[in-house]
Amino acid sequence: MAAAHREEGSSVRKSGEGAAAVRLEHLTKEFEGSLAVDDLSLELAAGEFFALLGPSGCGKTTTLRMLGGFEKPTSGKIYLGGEDITWTPSYKRDINTVFQSYALFPHLNVFENVAFGLRRKNVDKSEIGRLVEEHLELLGLSGFGRRPSTQLSGGQQQRVALARALVNRPRVLLLDEPMGALDAKIRKTMQVELKRIQREVGITFLYVTHDQDEAMALGDRLAVMRAGRYEDLGAPQRVYDQPATQFVAEFLGACNLLPVTLDHGELRLPDGSLVVARPGTMESTPQLVAQVGVRPEKMSIHAEGDEVVSRSNRLVATVTTITYLGASSEYEFETAWGGHLHVVAQNIDDRHIRLGDRVTVTWGETHGFWLPAPSDVAEVTSADVIMDDEAP
Amino acid sequence: MTTIQARIAKEPGSLRRWVSRHSPPYWLSLVGVGWMVLFFLIPLISGLIVSLETGNPVKGYTLTWNWHIYSQIFVHSDIPYTTFFIRSLIYGGSATILCILIAYPMAYYIAFRVSPRWKNSLLLLVLISFFISFVIRTDMWAFVLADQGIVVTTLRHLHLVSANFHILGTAGAVIGGDVYNNLAFMVLPIYVALERIDVRILEAARDLYANSRQTFLKTVLPLSRAGIFAGVLLVFISTVGDPVNSALLGGANTYTIGQAIQDAYLNNQQFNVAAALSTMLMLMLGVIMFIYARIFGTENIENLV
Amino acid sequence: MDPALFRGLTQRRLPRRELLRSAGLGAGLLGFSALLGACGIAGSASREGSDVNWDSFWAQQRKTGVLNFANWPLYIDTEHGRSQSLALFTKATGIKVNYEAVIQNNEPFYATIEPQLAAGESTGYDLAVFTNGWNLTQLIDSNFLVELDHSKLPNFQRYASDLVRNPNYDPGNKHSVTWQTGFTGIAYNTKYIDREITSFDDLADPAFSGHVGMMNDNVELGCAALLHMGVNPEVSTPKDWQESTKWLKKQRRLVSGYYDQSYIQHLENGDTWITQAWSGDVFQANQSGYPHLKFVVPKEGQIVWHDNMVILRGAQNPVSALEWMNFYYTPKIAGIVENWVNYVCPVPEAQRYIMDVLKDPTVANSPLVFPSASIDAVSHGYYVYKDYDEYQQWNDTYNPIIES
Repeated sequence: MAAAHREEGSSVRKSGEGAAAVRLEHLTKEFEGSLAVDDLSLELAAGEFFALLGPSGCGKTTTLRMLGGFEKPTSGKIYLGGEDITWTPSYKRDINTVFQSYALFPHLNVFENVAFGLRRKNVDKSEIGRLVEEHLELLGLSGFGRRPSTQLSGGQQQRVALARALVNRPRVLLLDEPMGALDAKIRKTMQVELKRIQREVGITFLYVTHDQDEAMALGDRLAVMRAGRYEDLGAPQRVYDQPATQFVAEFLGACNLLPVTLDHGELRLPDGSLVVARPGTMESTPQLVAQVGVRPEKMSIHAEGDEVVSRSNRLVATVTTITYLGASSEYEFETAWGGHLHVVAQNIDDRHIRLGDRVTVTWGETHGFWLPAPSDVAEVTSADVIMDDEAP
Repeated sequence: MTTIQARIAKEPGSLRRWVSRHSPPYWLSLVGVGWMVLFFLIPLISGLIVSLETGNPVKGYTLTWNWHIYSQIFVHSDIPYTTFFIRSLIYGGSATILCILIAYPMAYYIAFRVSPRWKNSLLLLVLISFFISFVIRTDMWAFVLADQGIVVTTLRHLHLVSANFHILGTAGAVIGGDVYNNLAFMVLPIYVALERIDVRILEAARDLYANSRQTFLKTVLPLSRAGIFAGVLLVFISTVGDPVNSALLGGANTYTIGQAIQDAYLNNQQFNVAAALSTMLMLMLGVIMFIYARIFGTENIENLV
Repeated sequence: MDPALFRGLTQRRLPRRELLRSAGLGAGLLGFSALLGACGIAGSASREGSDVNWDSFWAQQRKTGVLNFANWPLYIDTEHGRSQSLALFTKATGIKVNYEAVIQNNEPFYATIEPQLAAGESTGYDLAVFTNGWNLTQLIDSNFLVELDHSKLPNFQRYASDLVRNPNYDPGNKHSVTWQTGFTGIAYNTKYIDREITSFDDLADPAFSGHVGMMNDNVELGCAALLHMGVNPEVSTPKDWQESTKWLKKQRRLVSGYYDQSYIQHLENGDTWITQAWSGDVFQANQSGYPHLKFVVPKEGQIVWHDNMVILRGAQNPVSALEWMNFYYTPKIAGIVENWVNYVCPVPEAQRYIMDVLKDPTVANSPLVFPSASIDAVSHGYYVYKDYDEYQQWNDTYNPIIES
């Protein structure tokens, strides 16, 4: 898998200036014999919104907790702005956290929750009042100061948790699945707002989540973690379009995997047809290529008799399932060699494709990406992905 | 009830309105009121009535509204009942404070510093003395603390105390016994309160620049207030009225109100005096607890539920 | 294990009075308030029944096969959980004995059975053991006891010691015969006191300051003061009582505590060096690791008290009870019980039985178990209250000493 590790930081704003906001060097955490985080190295640029994505148990929360100072690494180093903070207690770190369940202080009202960190830092009283009010306003909580923190809705609690962390203007803000407890509708608005706030305050965000949509929507960059390491890291679009591994490809969305063989430097499908695909992020020689991945929405369907636009890749398949979804439809096909294809198509024109029809499926040359043979690491089931709690 | 049913029958939507207007707070409070009446008001009032009776156990007692008994007891008695009340309050108060100081670290240790599989064993250890009768284990202390007992002789051998040093028979022994016998009643509610604190709240405090001391003072302590509150109620009430520790561990000058009530009732058969003393004790504890609850807030009681 | 500790837990006639009290206090206060509460409390004297013809009562009674016997803890011979004396009784008479050691102290037991007695109901016990004192007087005055048919008690006539015949609290033994007797005198620890102790004055010796034990039983306390004053408590007057408190008040500052039955532990443990004491406790202490404790009869005299068997009104098996009383008053049975209980035996001839048959000279030869006949001359009984007011007057006189 090491071959898949490739960092890419050039596309990020401000990444050029000085030391990284956060640098993890060979960070390892062992819990009673099992590796939660396995030799992880990572850099966060100042002011970037970095999403750490992965299924339950992949080590993303452990990574965040080590950064926050709630877990001691077994080995490795953590730098904050160039300074080694590996062994600095959490209360001395210029890092704040928005906890998964918010962990508001139930005995304090909203104002005091937000003021907590400032009071510990002995900030001037009048200054505290000003800063707290300012942040309550920033998060749309004006007038909530005297409310007991226990009498807030989930969304309000999350805003308080955010205000409580942001008011301290930390160098890095850690967010541990902060949307986990919110319903879908509030989640959407909060995402937009979170992005806005992050741009406004310019603080580096490390956002841990198992929700790929959220990670892609929010992150300037994202890393997909599995078994204590990341398998791919980069801008969301790049990682989506050219994932490094089958795991990353499937974790970020649906993906057709076409088995290929190498024939005189060319890739061929089992039916003998030629496939053109991008090397993707694979740094290996084509000899190792075993599959080509194509996203379902990148494929086009052409009924018999339709004019087929000249595209690099094509194959003939039989329709086995059609699912009408209003804006789009999903199709399942069986290929000549018995494989299955999954295609999503926008319902733009009337289509006359019926079950059993033989159709031509095409896709562009940049839409396919090389993948190595399926990894032998245990498959991640969908149930794992849904769980939001992480080991330990 | 019939008119209500008739009205509900007439207006279909009115049932819900009627229920929501009348039900939860009022009906539910009846249980509490019933409890109070049954276990507090009835004993208090019947105690008060008995205290106002005159007579003797042979001829019987009749209600003569003898309010005079209270002035007899507190002003004109050869027996200094007022002193006993004050003494009992001091013993109970000191024992309660000592209980907090000892029980809190114990509960804290069990709640936060011990691996989960040891917690039950340690809690059992806190309760283990309850497997022996209250009186017998108090009596055991009388042996341990005796002048020739292990504690005093050791202290004497080490020349830490003079030859005349006693433990048994002193107020300290009585308070010590009170603490020993009631410690679990302080440990358990505090433990329950601490156990309920989400560890992430402590992490949040650390995250927000609170060092260990500040984390304790600003989060753990306030969040366990309900447990301390409950412990104080349990320990204070039980120690102020306790006759056993002062009888077994006390001496000539540690006579408490609990002993006075017991002796008046059982030995002297002065039912009216015993009733007057226990009525006063109940009232006094009631007033103290009321003030205490007002100061430390009813939310503590709510948090216990 | 410290033998004192062990003995403290197993000591005979060591009623853990507090045991019952602590449990009973809360319930008792609630109970008597709630039950007797609303409009007055019936007195024990209100019950009728003084006009019973006891001859015809006994004539009507038939023998039953059962006896319900309430006694104090550790107050009968016990071997592997069984009593030989009771077994012999069952063998001889066919009467099965339900023996229950339920009496922790006179007052709480009286309070337990009084409501049933007052209501004219059976308490469930035929035979109970009460110390002479206010509760026994109350039982007699309230007609709560069955008068004994002495024609069925030939052994009592034959074997009872003079000490237990015709006591001042129950003339003619009309309602009671003694189970055990005890003396109240002074005990001291020869480890700490190397001079002779002879008098109640020694309880007020400043040399023993902080190590003097007195009894919290106000009867014993008052009697000690009266004897010290040279007054026989049996014939004392309220004026004497008042006068005697002067000595008690003066002596109070030397007192380390006013103790219940635990006084003997305090003496054993060295908390007290000199104390008021019961003869039986000292005898037992001597046998179980405390030979240096010594019981003395003060030159002013000592107190003699009796624990008495009585038949409670409403008893289901009065004939069985009477039969047991008669059976007990033999050298053999009294000897078997005495050899275990070690208080003062009401049957002097049991001494020979213990010596010859049981072969236990320590008990047989002890003046504490079998006192010489001359002991009568220096032993005085408690004052017998004529009514509750006198009893209350006694309380009012002596309680302020203890309760302070």
